[in-house]
Amino acid sequence: MFFYYIDLAWRSFKRTPFVSMLMVLAIAVGIGITMTSLSVYYMMAMNPIPDKSDRLHVVQLNTMDEGQSQGSSDNLPQQLTYRDAMALYQQDFPENKVIHMRSGFAVHLGDSSIKPFLEATRMAGRDFFSMFNLEFQYGGAWSVEQEQNAAQVAVISQSLNEKLFGSENSLGKTFYLDDKVFQVVGVLDEWNLHTRFYDITTGAFSRTENIFIPFSLVPVLEVPSWGNTNGWKYQEINNYQDRLNAEIFWVQLWVELPNEQAKAQYGQFLQAYLSEQEALGRFERETPQYALRNVMEWLDYSNVVSDDNRVLVGLSFMFLIVCLANILGLLLGKFLKRAPEIGVRRALGARKRQVFAQHIVEVSLLGLFGGLLGIGIAQLGLWGVRATENYYSALATMDLSMLLAAPSISIIACIIAGLYPAWLVCKTAPAIYLKTQ
Amino acid sequence: MLSMKNINKVYQTEKVQTHALRDFDLEVSEGEFIAVTGPSGSGKTTFLNIAGMLESYSSGDYLLDDINVGKLSDNAKADLRNQKIGFIFQGFNLIPDLNLYENVEVPLRYRGIKSAQRKQRIMDCLEQVGLASRAKHLPQQLSGGQQQRVAIARALAGKPRFLLADEPTGNLDSLMARQVMDLLEQINRDGATIIMVTHDPELARRAPRNIQVVDGQLADFTLYQGAPDMHVSSHAAAQV
Repeated sequence: MFFYYIDLAWRSFKRTPFVSMLMVLAIAVGIGITMTSLSVYYMMAMNPIPDKSDRLHVVQLNTMDEGQSQGSSDNLPQQLTYRDAMALYQQDFPENKVIHMRSGFAVHLGDSSIKPFLEATRMAGRDFFSMFNLEFQYGGAWSVEQEQNAAQVAVISQSLNEKLFGSENSLGKTFYLDDKVFQVVGVLDEWNLHTRFYDITTGAFSRTENIFIPFSLVPVLEVPSWGNTNGWKYQEINNYQDRLNAEIFWVQLWVELPNEQAKAQYGQFLQAYLSEQEALGRFERETPQYALRNVMEWLDYSNVVSDDNRVLVGLSFMFLIVCLANILGLLLGKFLKRAPEIGVRRALGARKRQVFAQHIVEVSLLGLFGGLLGIGIAQLGLWGVRATENYYSALATMDLSMLLAAPSISIIACIIAGLYPAWLVCKTAPAIYLKTQ
Repeated sequence: MLSMKNINKVYQTEKVQTHALRDFDLEVSEGEFIAVTGPSGSGKTTFLNIAGMLESYSSGDYLLDDINVGKLSDNAKADLRNQKIGFIFQGFNLIPDLNLYENVEVPLRYRGIKSAQRKQRIMDCLEQVGLASRAKHLPQQLSGGQQQRVAIARALAGKPRFLLADEPTGNLDSLMARQVMDLLEQINRDGATIIMVTHDPELARRAPRNIQVVDGQLADFTLYQGAPDMHVSSHAAAQV
């Protein structure tokens, strides 16, 4: 009977093309707008590293006096001081950890072939690539020795490799960061990270860096921070060494903790470390405070998906409801006009359930058409978001699940709108219409 | 085959109670052809709707093939209608979007008959009413008489034992009306039981048994010798 109902639905569309198109358009506009906001929200809220998001943890320590705050919900600073980050990074436990910060340099080739340009650079420990699932087109991460010796080596992105070296295998080639020569040891494969979870402080949805160099170069080259630097007390900072020793937060540390036991064990270690640091007189606290948040907890804690986005999604769904209310009215008119035909069908043996199913299939087909057209409208909407080149540009795309969700939401929405008209028409007493037709 | 005892149908509005049928008694045997006459508003169509289970009744007993209709669910009534009853309406009630073939197909679809079997049955019925060659035509491309013949083919498609016809010739000229009546007589001779509501005395006379509905009550008399047994309701008998 399903295909019979499909056939009847199609005939119904052809019988009233204007009203049908109006309904398809109404649902398409509603779905288009809803899917535009929902797609952005979905990409923002999506797990950026699903295979290990529960194992990767960001380290937060409260190394401030009691009563001091960094404005976060639990008063913890989002970053660490250089001395704490280095002290924890130099421990043997846990095995996988990465220290990093954002800086930037003028990039050039030492000749006039390429105009120098400023480029953000990630100063990072060599585990950065393996911990965050980066893959290489050529070469790999720098060696342990190179890291220990603060060697001037770099891993560059595919796009930078194309810009500097024309996409060829550039391993061993050199380029300049300011006036320092760096040798390429690795070229990354494409890295599409929609939420830059590893450094929320410089924009969760900013693009990833194109240059990665050893963190050990930070004190050697006295690299400036291109990220946030937050303090909590007055300190004289007259040179770079003062900066490294200061109670200011500008470095981040991520650790990989394979299970709850490892997390608890590392927590105990952090607690002991904080007590030890307090004993050194760096700060005064009643109890040591630290946090180990995994990736999704970290994104939630950092309000990556703001309430504004949720409100926007809510508003777009309300708009969809308004569209559905209009469709409901049109369906009521259309279906009730068909009551005489339904009277005949009932007289010829159609059960109420069969009449109901016939109409639900019709509204589902309507929803399908509306959903497909809605995808087109959503693509236009997302194109509009991308065209503004604002903060969300990289997120304004629809992945496969959203593409499938659009017609599904549309069909479900239309079925909901069609329930009442379909119920009304199927409970109509057939005898009324048989004589009057 | 059909037995109605003390059937009452009351339409209730806020202020008025209207008795469409009062203590309506009727027995119909297998193979009968009954013409139902009576003035407008007397309750003929209400009786036919109740007989076809398109309307419920307020009180009384109605047995169709010994099945107590009053105890059936809505779905069971739909199934019974589909299997045992064929309807012919004054306004033909063909579905305008469907061609003749598809119109005749409707009751068979709801019975779940397979496509090949359906096709055979539809073509047989259209053949029987002389319209097989126009199976792909839409109803509006036919004359009124032809449309009524399609409606008869549709009523016959499910091989019903019982045909209910409400003014089947009401919208037709006399020539076409006679042709439709010829067809109904043929169907009756083939074994179907027919109840036909009509205003036309000439057509009513062609039916072996006539009953008259007056103010929702039944008068029953037979016009022809050798017709099936007379069944006279007590109230109507008193009137006669």
